[in-house]
Amino acid sequence: MRFITREKIQDLLEALASEAEVWAPRELNGSGGSIMFERWRSGDPIAFEGVTTLSAKDMVLPRTEKLFGFRYTAGTGNLLAEALGQSAGQPAKEKGEHLSIDPAEPVAEKVLFGVRACDAKALDVLDSLFNRADGSGYEDPGYRSRRAGLTVITIACTSCDEACFCSSFDNGPAEKAGSDLIFYPVDTGFLVEAVTVRGEKILARDEAAKSGQLFEESMLQPPALAETARVEGTADMETLLPAIFADLDFWERSTASCISCGFCTYGCPTCHCFNIHDEMRGDREGERLRSWDACMFHIYTQEASGHNPRPTPAHRYRNRINHKFSYYPENQGQILCTGCGRCIRGCPAGLDIREVMTAALAHARGQGST
Amino acid sequence: MISELAKSELSMSDLAAKISEALAGADLVLGWTASGPGGVAAPARFYEQAEAQQAVFDSTCVHNLAVHLPRLKERRVGIVAKPCDARAVNQLIAEREIDPGRVSVIGVECPSMVDVKTIWRRFGYGARIEDDGERLLVNGAEVERGKYTPAKCADCADRVHPAGEQSAAVADVTDETAADERQLRERFNAMSPAERREFWREQYSRCIRCYACREACPMCYCRDVCIMQSDESRWTGGGVNAGDAEMMQLIRVNHLAGRCTGCGECERACPAGIPLMLLMEEQNRVVEELFGHRAGVDPDARPPLLSFNANNDGWRKA
Amino acid sequence: MSTIAQAGRKATDPLRPEPATVIEVIPETPNIKTLRVAFDDPAVTEAFSFLPGQIGQLSVPGAGESTFAISSAPSQTDVFEFSVMKAGVVTSAIHELGAGDPVAIRAPLGCAFPTDEWKGRNIVLVAGGIGMAPLRSLLYHLLDNRADYGGLTLIYGARTPDDLCFASDRDDWRHRADLDFTATIDMACSIWDGCVGLVPTVLEERAPSPENSVAVTCGPPIMIRYALESLARLGFREEQVYTTLERRMKCGIGICGRCNLGPKYVCTDGPVFSLAELNGLPDEM
Repeated sequence: MRFITREKIQDLLEALASEAEVWAPRELNGSGGSIMFERWRSGDPIAFEGVTTLSAKDMVLPRTEKLFGFRYTAGTGNLLAEALGQSAGQPAKEKGEHLSIDPAEPVAEKVLFGVRACDAKALDVLDSLFNRADGSGYEDPGYRSRRAGLTVITIACTSCDEACFCSSFDNGPAEKAGSDLIFYPVDTGFLVEAVTVRGEKILARDEAAKSGQLFEESMLQPPALAETARVEGTADMETLLPAIFADLDFWERSTASCISCGFCTYGCPTCHCFNIHDEMRGDREGERLRSWDACMFHIYTQEASGHNPRPTPAHRYRNRINHKFSYYPENQGQILCTGCGRCIRGCPAGLDIREVMTAALAHARGQGST
Repeated sequence: MISELAKSELSMSDLAAKISEALAGADLVLGWTASGPGGVAAPARFYEQAEAQQAVFDSTCVHNLAVHLPRLKERRVGIVAKPCDARAVNQLIAEREIDPGRVSVIGVECPSMVDVKTIWRRFGYGARIEDDGERLLVNGAEVERGKYTPAKCADCADRVHPAGEQSAAVADVTDETAADERQLRERFNAMSPAERREFWREQYSRCIRCYACREACPMCYCRDVCIMQSDESRWTGGGVNAGDAEMMQLIRVNHLAGRCTGCGECERACPAGIPLMLLMEEQNRVVEELFGHRAGVDPDARPPLLSFNANNDGWRKA
Repeated sequence: MSTIAQAGRKATDPLRPEPATVIEVIPETPNIKTLRVAFDDPAVTEAFSFLPGQIGQLSVPGAGESTFAISSAPSQTDVFEFSVMKAGVVTSAIHELGAGDPVAIRAPLGCAFPTDEWKGRNIVLVAGGIGMAPLRSLLYHLLDNRADYGGLTLIYGARTPDDLCFASDRDDWRHRADLDFTATIDMACSIWDGCVGLVPTVLEERAPSPENSVAVTCGPPIMIRYALESLARLGFREEQVYTTLERRMKCGIGICGRCNLGPKYVCTDGPVFSLAELNGLPDEM
């Protein structure tokens, strides 16, 4: 395998930063240990240990994204109006305002360094909805262009904590799906493996490095990988979970502590629900924005009439679990969870999705008490 | 309504008995069991008297369970409450949000909590935490208690023993100066207004609008119709970006003026580690200075910013 | 309902609306207006078509976007209609619009009524209030292809005469020999000499036969619930009954995760569902 020393990582990232934005994990000052993906610039520290508090999903699904800008221009019915406000093909108006919608803006190329396999695999899971390889389904240009412009460099996990459970779902600490390059930590640096053509191109760019070869050949063996907890008995979860859907009492009891915030959804690398909202910037111009949303919020399904199909936290948690482990697998063929454990680490109320799943599956099988 | 504070050497069988007793007149009791990872406390609900045996109370009972009371206001509820939790119950009563006739509080004297979140950030989620009141052990090795004591506990004025003396445990903690949060507070107090403005701009830029702060706060019971998350009113933009998040946070601080009981749950819940309590405590100090009011101490008190008093006799002379 | 009708040009950016203009605003009731709209770009109009039951996202950029059934005849595509009840910020902004004002539209979305499967059968339409909007589009389609269908029955009710929509259509429908039309209001009043009674009650009184029939119902949730019960009492099996659902929607294309009933999205697998399908989905009404 190829090998890179820890010291040469800075050189590698500098070389990549000359062509794209580089993002890497960093602990936020004075945050009590919150690690986030931040824009990396030469000399910035990188958090090689641990796992980020939020996932890397805002590389492809930004927290807030401008879908398009729009502007209203006053119509005067003459050529001046045509020159000012109309794009080709639009008929001249006799009166009233014109509306024009701006073209989509280009997105920057990005290199994501230091993700975990659970995050990279999550990109693959999201691709099955937003970016299907066979071109079927709806095309999401914002997601597609970001995904196409994203290089993913993953660091495999040689240790884990008790919240990790990536081994549960066709996944693992060195899962390749979604990655371009995988780095395996060893004593003095990392063994490196290319997963895609894009990854191979990076391995091949030694000649451009200012301090000589970035990657060398190595006879070192890959390290032993972390062994994570597993959720067991999930084979039929797609059908078992809906079977107990109507038992709201069970869902209320097993999710009683949930305070219905959005952290589990926002931290999750596969959760992708979004809100669309318009905002004016002055009287004439505005933007239509897409922002992260969470099925755990009360307002999520709140209808203008006042009716809400999911009025309590139990209703919402029930939907969330079913979406991840039954509906999404049925519709897209992938489980909407990669076992990263962020929802568990970050839950202020101490809820553990694995415990709820295990209780639900047992309940569905007619075993165990609530 | 608030039962007498338990003795300082609260035994678990005393606690179980009190919960059992409460269940005779309540539909459920909110408390804790030792069912969290590594045996730490996790919030639990007791419905049957037999379940009361599993109740625990220790320094990992960090959650303020009063947050659940508004959603349970149709039921009769018991709640095991630390002094800061009991203040939240009092404030909910003062604001007429819950009916004191339907809530019974099992007050427990608090040994000071341990900052489980920071410990697990440093030592890994689920690291074993043991606290015998003297030594704090993580994965079997002793750690410096002051580093892992929440600031709200270090400065707590509510943990005075019923006999009127400060317990020894309180004195030890307030002597500690190594806690990160206390250093931050001192740095903050030394800042000029312009520096503070920059400080908050940077801090709030980390906000992801997950609303964990709001949902963890017992006073934010308008959570389901929160105007900062509504499509209908446009008090703030809806984006997850620095400017909109800052506006949302500052509005929240304002809405809690005279109402925040200092439980610190917002800060504990925040995934981005924003020191939310800094501004809350500052505001609480100002309210106390101006109105002589501390939220949650007296359930019959009229919260000054929620009351109209034509005589203005609520104002203290400066 | 898994076939999504392909209509017009496949959008390269399905979240991006097309600019359009309000041609005319027709007040229907104190809180419902019908907007006749046309796309600004002739190429978009050329490529546009829809089937009855499909929906569109109509927006006043700056106020927001909202989902409405296309309420006009599918045979007409240069101008088409949305009937909008004023309920919140977006619909209030829509109600402020006048002829010549700009809007933006994403349409058609969602699944249509499976009218091809219904050929040769009797169709019973049961509508309440604004629920008549999608059924109006369906009714026009059926009338435009009248020979393909058997008996055609419409029961349309509202709280008061002022809450009934589509006044000029109703005049036409009353006089058609090929349509059995009953308009009804909830409680008697002096200016109404027609049928009086709640829609489900009138439905049971009229007692259409379930023999070789299909029933379609749309209206406020409570009316739908009682109408479904009435249809069951009349002997309609769940495969014979269809409805069209409302949900809070945002993307309208089945990716924002919001409007699902179990694994089905109301915006793409619906909004038209048969009762048989609904009974197989989790109850999250």
